[in-house]
Amino acid sequence: MTIQTPAKEKTHTFRLLAPGVVWMILFLVAPIMMIVYVSFWTQTTFSINSTLTLDSWKNFFGSEAYVGALWTTVRLWLIVLALTFLIGYPAALYVGLLVKSKTVSTVLLVLCVIPFWTSFLIRVLAWRPMLGKEGAINILLQKAGIIDSPIEVLLFSELSVIIGMTQIYVVFMVGPIAFMLGRIDRNIIEAARDLGAGFGRIFWKIILPLSLPGVVVGAIFVSVMVLGEFATSGALSGRKVNLLGNIIVTQVGSLKWAMASVVGVILTILLGIVVAGFLRIVDLKREL
Amino acid sequence: MTQTGSIFRLEGVTRRYDDLTALDAIDFEAEQNEYISLLGPSGSGKTSLLRIIAGFEKPDQGRVWFQGQDITDLPAHERGIGFVFQNFALFPHLTVFENVAFGLRNNVDTVPGVEIEKRTRDAIEMVGLAGLEDRVPDQVSGGQKQRVALARTLVMQPKLVLLDEPLGALDANLRDRMQIELRAIRERLDVTFLHVTGSETEALAMGDTVAVLNAGKVIQSGTPDEIYDTPASPDVALFLNRFNIFDGTLKGGHFAGPFGDAPVATARQNAQDRYAIRYDRTQIFDPGAKLPGPALTARFRASEYLGSSIIFLFETEDHKTVEVDHHLSFGDPRDLTVDNEYVLSWDPAKAIVFGKEGSK
Repeated sequence: MTIQTPAKEKTHTFRLLAPGVVWMILFLVAPIMMIVYVSFWTQTTFSINSTLTLDSWKNFFGSEAYVGALWTTVRLWLIVLALTFLIGYPAALYVGLLVKSKTVSTVLLVLCVIPFWTSFLIRVLAWRPMLGKEGAINILLQKAGIIDSPIEVLLFSELSVIIGMTQIYVVFMVGPIAFMLGRIDRNIIEAARDLGAGFGRIFWKIILPLSLPGVVVGAIFVSVMVLGEFATSGALSGRKVNLLGNIIVTQVGSLKWAMASVVGVILTILLGIVVAGFLRIVDLKREL
Repeated sequence: MTQTGSIFRLEGVTRRYDDLTALDAIDFEAEQNEYISLLGPSGSGKTSLLRIIAGFEKPDQGRVWFQGQDITDLPAHERGIGFVFQNFALFPHLTVFENVAFGLRNNVDTVPGVEIEKRTRDAIEMVGLAGLEDRVPDQVSGGQKQRVALARTLVMQPKLVLLDEPLGALDANLRDRMQIELRAIRERLDVTFLHVTGSETEALAMGDTVAVLNAGKVIQSGTPDEIYDTPASPDVALFLNRFNIFDGTLKGGHFAGPFGDAPVATARQNAQDRYAIRYDRTQIFDPGAKLPGPALTARFRASEYLGSSIIFLFETEDHKTVEVDHHLSFGDPRDLTVDNEYVLSWDPAKAIVFGKEGSK
């Protein structure tokens, strides 16, 4: 056995890192720099040139529609995040902690993933026959005599976008939380019971804090996906709800690269802030 | 219905897991203010028994009484019985201080903040952890975790503390120290400790009373010397790990075994005929020497040096291992040659005999 000198170890580390670093520079760092660069290009109706200007940025912040889209994005993100947490946590609690048999809990988790066997778009579009004016929900409610005329707000509204996104992304909340809950030593919960704590106390003082890393990972998953969303809002809002993602799509569609880049940069910054914020809550490196 | 003197009582407690009967109609009563060790091999149901007393599991049949009350249907958090887990089960996200204070803070009864502070500090001091209050469990050693677990339980001032193999996770050195400390702490606090263990030395060293559990039944309970000197059945003798046990036939005051025929003064009632002689009462002789009793020819295989004594391992003709414990205070051990034949013998009056002909 030879003893490696620190210098030799260093070159080793560097060689091991090199492929990853090259990959990230080529396909992550360079494109992002490019987007930032293009956002300062000069855009005319039919062409774009690399003369630097702040026009697109001014245009974005000067337009009520664009700034409105930013706030809509933030609002929908917060609502969907809250809903996925409120719906996902109890489900995860059941799957990860209350179900005693490991087999049953695995089966339940697989069931959660079954919707992913169809494509994303199908899952989104499947909400149309559910929520529509003559959709399943309205028909059932009318047949049951609960309502006289169909609820129109169900489809092509912000509500339908929220329902669709929550259903699609809730599983990304359930998974990490269930995983963290499954790792809690059952003895710890029994110890808390033995010390006289009732279920509520045990939940707030033991279970929730110990599952927090799962909540944070789930929240990051959901946030990243919801903030970049355009398909669900496109398909279920009837173009009434415009998110930053939708704006990028339309701008790219009409070859307005500079504006699309501006929105892209704003979205990237927003995501950066959100992810960094979540990572401040728990030290994931230590917890996982 | 009240009881005096006894802290808890089990009445026909039975617990089954599918086909397996973990606890088979256990009746057991424990005196107040004593150290009880519950000795049993793994799978004897000792952990199930503790979990039922603590309230984590319900017995399928039978009742559990605690301080004169039937607590069988009372949930764990209302029982006021302390439980120290084998793996300590500390709350990983809380500091040592908060671990110990947890029960006081989250109990059904509200305890004033000043009192929480004081009782927690006292408990931490009692187990010798002063100064480590702000560490989290990951930052303390195994022995310190054990102390945190103990302080966390004792701060609630329970009348009964259940300890599930509390020393199992500690190294030998620490185990000896904790044995002494556990006893000292118990005496200071006037509580009953029920200590479950698979180690016969631990059970005998720590218990004021030792109860031996086998296959879901308490097969003997008594003081350590009673258990050690007069095991009630071959199983007890076996768990004590201090007896050579032989099969044979007991008939008319004689036991016929692999060592020939030995006179038997008294025998204990048992379904099978068994003959038990303690390791340290078995002696080694050369072939042809004058013997104090029966003669068992065996080959010397190996020896184990334990510091204060030496264990010699012999193999009999029917491939049974027989152990001889020679205490070094009785003189230097003999020089034995490996694979040579020797004769083992003992004073037949010292043997403990079980059999169908035995009395009680």
